[in-house]
Amino acid sequence: MGDLTPRARRPWRAVPAAVAASSLLLLAACSGESEEGGAGLDNTEASMTDFAADQQFKATEPVDFSILWTDWPELPIKDSWQLFDEIEKRTNVTLQPTNIPFSDATEKRSLLISAGDAPQIIPLVYTGEDAPFVSSGAVLPMSDYVDLMPNFQKYVEEWDLGDMIDNLRQDDGKYYMVPGLQEVSVPVFSMIIRKDVFDEVGAEVPETWDELRVALEKIKAKHPDSKPLADGFEGQSMLNYAAHAYGTVAGWGFGNGTFWDEGAGEFTYAATSDGYKEMVEYFHGLVEDGLLDPETLTTTSDGSVNELSEKVANSAVYAASGASGTVAEFQLALQEADPDAEFELVQIAPPGGPAGQVVEPRNFWHGFMLSAEAKDDPHFVALVQFLDWLYYSPDAREMLRWGVEGETYTKDADGTITIDPDYSLDAYNINPDAKTDLAKDLGFSTFLAESTESRALKESYNSDQFVEYMDRVLESRTPRDPFPPAPLDDAELEQASLLATPLKDTVDTNTLKFILGDRPLAEWDDYVTELEGQNLQGYLDLINGAQQRFAEKN
Amino acid sequence: MQRATSSPSVRSAGTPVGARDTRGYRAFTVFNTVALVVVSLFMLYPFVTVLAQSFSSPGAIKAGMVSFWPVGFNLDTYRAMAQDGLFWSSYRNTLVYTLVGTTIAMVLTTTFAFVISKRHLRGRGVLIGVAVFTMFFNGGLVPNYVLISSLGLKNTMWAVVLPGAVSVFNLLVMKSFFENLPQELEEAAQIDGLGWFGIFGRIVLPLSKAVLATMVLFYSVAYWNDWFSAFLYLDKNELFPVTLFMRNLIAGASSSASEGAAAVGATTQAVSANIQAVTMILTIIPIVCVYPFVQRFFVSGVMLGSVKG
Repeated sequence: MGDLTPRARRPWRAVPAAVAASSLLLLAACSGESEEGGAGLDNTEASMTDFAADQQFKATEPVDFSILWTDWPELPIKDSWQLFDEIEKRTNVTLQPTNIPFSDATEKRSLLISAGDAPQIIPLVYTGEDAPFVSSGAVLPMSDYVDLMPNFQKYVEEWDLGDMIDNLRQDDGKYYMVPGLQEVSVPVFSMIIRKDVFDEVGAEVPETWDELRVALEKIKAKHPDSKPLADGFEGQSMLNYAAHAYGTVAGWGFGNGTFWDEGAGEFTYAATSDGYKEMVEYFHGLVEDGLLDPETLTTTSDGSVNELSEKVANSAVYAASGASGTVAEFQLALQEADPDAEFELVQIAPPGGPAGQVVEPRNFWHGFMLSAEAKDDPHFVALVQFLDWLYYSPDAREMLRWGVEGETYTKDADGTITIDPDYSLDAYNINPDAKTDLAKDLGFSTFLAESTESRALKESYNSDQFVEYMDRVLESRTPRDPFPPAPLDDAELEQASLLATPLKDTVDTNTLKFILGDRPLAEWDDYVTELEGQNLQGYLDLINGAQQRFAEKN
Repeated sequence: MQRATSSPSVRSAGTPVGARDTRGYRAFTVFNTVALVVVSLFMLYPFVTVLAQSFSSPGAIKAGMVSFWPVGFNLDTYRAMAQDGLFWSSYRNTLVYTLVGTTIAMVLTTTFAFVISKRHLRGRGVLIGVAVFTMFFNGGLVPNYVLISSLGLKNTMWAVVLPGAVSVFNLLVMKSFFENLPQELEEAAQIDGLGWFGIFGRIVLPLSKAVLATMVLFYSVAYWNDWFSAFLYLDKNELFPVTLFMRNLIAGASSSASEGAAAVGATTQAVSANIQAVTMILTIIPIVCVYPFVQRFFVSGVMLGSVKG
């Protein structure tokens, strides 16, 4: 009945488009900021004159800063959180959060920014998400102010992230967000195997895709009814980490479809490369021999994680894509199906392939942007210093994750962190029986905590299994080098998305068809011709042009 | 005197008085019943599943064992939900928004509709035009947001309640209903000395119970289900209606299993299907209870409008 009223019919999915369109109109007037650096600013009230890396920031007078706060359903924000008190105690800064529900956080964020109503601090910004706001001038070019951020600069250098920072630059040579820095980064999603079953049939933990195939064949021989390999994410996850081993990009990691050819010094299209073909052939072979469950490649990802758990529980699948959380899910399903079941689930490093033991390039985590109005605040310099401390100083990182030393956790001489027995961290299954939860009750270990992490801090809270996985990846795999930046201007951006969308559709459809055997691999050349017919060359010229222009400018 | 024995009507009691049903008609009835039962079973199935899930253990749901009947009976989630302060404060918000919103909407819609139902009113065309215009054109998202926020309505109940207070569709339905009331009634009332407010309050409204009930239903369901304006204009979770609470719970959880969250390495722990089910059940109960009571008005209301056209 509610559908009959126009109000209820309002299509919320149109939000991003509407926001983008209106933002251009509304904020066109705001663009064209002056190009001064951070050093020459005179709104220095409450700031520290001698702020340096690894030093405690404390505003010289109490100040309020507003911040956008994404509200996770299982972790609703509370004013009483000790997190806010502790920040205030240490820095004289009171954070004023604006809540947005997690379910539609990005839409609401776009709306607030476009309406000029955003809080000063806009956190939870992933790389690339700043691009839509660049031309409107609604957010500040952070690259102009990094000289006010000693901690940021120190850790960019120490963790060797300088080149990656340069890749954040937009067409105008500036970057508008500063990311969370990770000392080490490993793929979150890789393959989870039933190690007990692999052991049972005498198969090693596979280090390459070929070894995996051998192992799967052995399992198939022993359990002929099973289709031992599956992917609960429409194949997108598996293609993503497999692609790196085949020297290409696919699945979730397909991005805009281009792949940097080091030798030729230009971008080529990933989905027409030999590596891509080889990968598709490999997976088609698995499907043909009944080693890869084709059903899981076609069911939509919403419910199929459940369906996949079901298959794992019923011993129809022995290896599947997933993250550490998926391991827990599979465990739960296996135990539910048979409380006495004995099994060992292990997340393994992504297998290598023809391109070597290569995994995805190192990643940034989410960082923050500042809304344009922040610059008119008399406390602007203090704001930037505060954020530099909060996001990048080791003291702040430890506080955001573990709380207050001596109260919620202790740290021994060699830096090992132990949680106080009165506190729990349910999200990581630490001390689950204690009454007070660090995250739910005190606000620590919320999203701010994960943004920047040293390796030691990362290892302090993750399960031994995950740490093992991390160590394994770090010692035996090489991250692929990042591609050079090729930022497009507004007009090019539109043209590129017009070209890229149909290309990607063709690639997605045909990748699946080739793998499932609906289209014979002999037609590969026809498929390449089809892509060329969709102006593939024009698209590549656009990207390569942007890359060359950027290289000349910077 | 012995009417009972001699009367043929007693003998034939229980059989239809009119023409006998043809075989074709009976076959149709059987087929119709079966088809409708099957269709309604299909429609009920999701509800039953959610109900069963709300009483099941999370593990059983994960393993896909729950369809019609609870597996691993569990009341803990209901117990936990009963103690969740945020859920109940959202619930209270929804009740308040629905009650206040429906009241305001009904007052505005009935009075507006009554005025524009009078054919002799000068400028009537303009008034209708103003309303209908908003059906086809609106300012768009950002301008609306800027309007609401510069009116100072942001983060108040009024931001949720006022923008939807006059639904043009409802207004037009009501207008044509009022137009169809016999003009003679009003004339008689005027002769007896009633003014326009008297006519409206003492003659027209009592005669319009059917359409009023229908409108109350439309408005209250719309307010109850509305999460979008709350999502746009409210920034504090203590002001959120329960629908937004639920949307966050469900959309948030399912998107954590999807590409966006996964590609960036979501740290969300998925909210279990069990909790989702419990929230859904608790949220739909009141509005489901309202339906049967308003239904009869609703049916007669629609018929009235159509027959009298």
